[in-house]
Amino acid sequence: MDSTKLMKLREESGIKILEIKTDLSSYAASDLRKVLEDLLAEKVEKVVVNLSQVSHINSTAVGALVGVAKRLRQSGGDLKICALEENLTRTFNLIGASSVVEIYESENSALAAF
Amino acid sequence: MAKSDIKLKIPSAAFYIEPVRAFIGNLAQSLGFSRKRVADIQLVLDEICSNAVHHGSIDATVGVKLRIRIDTHSLEILVRDTGSRHTGEKSWLTPERLAEIEANRSPSSESGHGIFIAKSLADAYEIQSNAVDGTDVRVVFKLLKPNDLKL
Repeated sequence: MDSTKLMKLREESGIKILEIKTDLSSYAASDLRKVLEDLLAEKVEKVVVNLSQVSHINSTAVGALVGVAKRLRQSGGDLKICALEENLTRTFNLIGASSVVEIYESENSALAAF
Repeated sequence: MAKSDIKLKIPSAAFYIEPVRAFIGNLAQSLGFSRKRVADIQLVLDEICSNAVHHGSIDATVGVKLRIRIDTHSLEILVRDTGSRHTGEKSWLTPERLAEIEANRSPSSESGHGIFIAKSLADAYEIQSNAVDGTDVRVVFKLLKPNDLKL
């Protein structure tokens, strides 16, 4: 199964929005990393990842998001995350990633933060 | 409830972790764990199975074994891999290597959080080398705790 089909990309005002429609356990997390690295290869600078339809995220997926956010910042861009369920917020807080990646309540607020 | 064991063996491939995660979630819910604890159990299972698949197996054919032990008071998960050290693979995880990874972990690390998560969320955690040159990780979640009231 290719979970990248459940990761939809669109663009608004020059910002790439990646909407995830699958839980991010180990298998899908690898696909998420591939999708994000493709964006880096395309020289995309601004990314919002919408996790509103995700009820589980593991540390591999969190690590992929953190890694890409750090690399984008080096070139003046950023990756911001939005619409986390309570479970996801707890995972980000436990790892400490919420202090590294900017997290917003809604997609609109994440877009507005650029 | 008498003590019961459920034994599973999955191919060492990430694809098979998701159905096991779904299974353990349903089981934990049936046992009466709160929604929050069910999510914790699923996350820990995901993390320790991911380590076993990615770092504890030569290839997908060897498999990862799970023993899920349930009784009135707890849910215990044991994940056993066969190791990959004898292949010269540098990414294999021994208890010593995992301790080193944990010591170097930071919020901005892109990897190395799995064992930290398991230790943080489980009521008991144990890791040791096994007889087949691999690693056993055992975690226990206690059912009857004052703070485990159903939401």
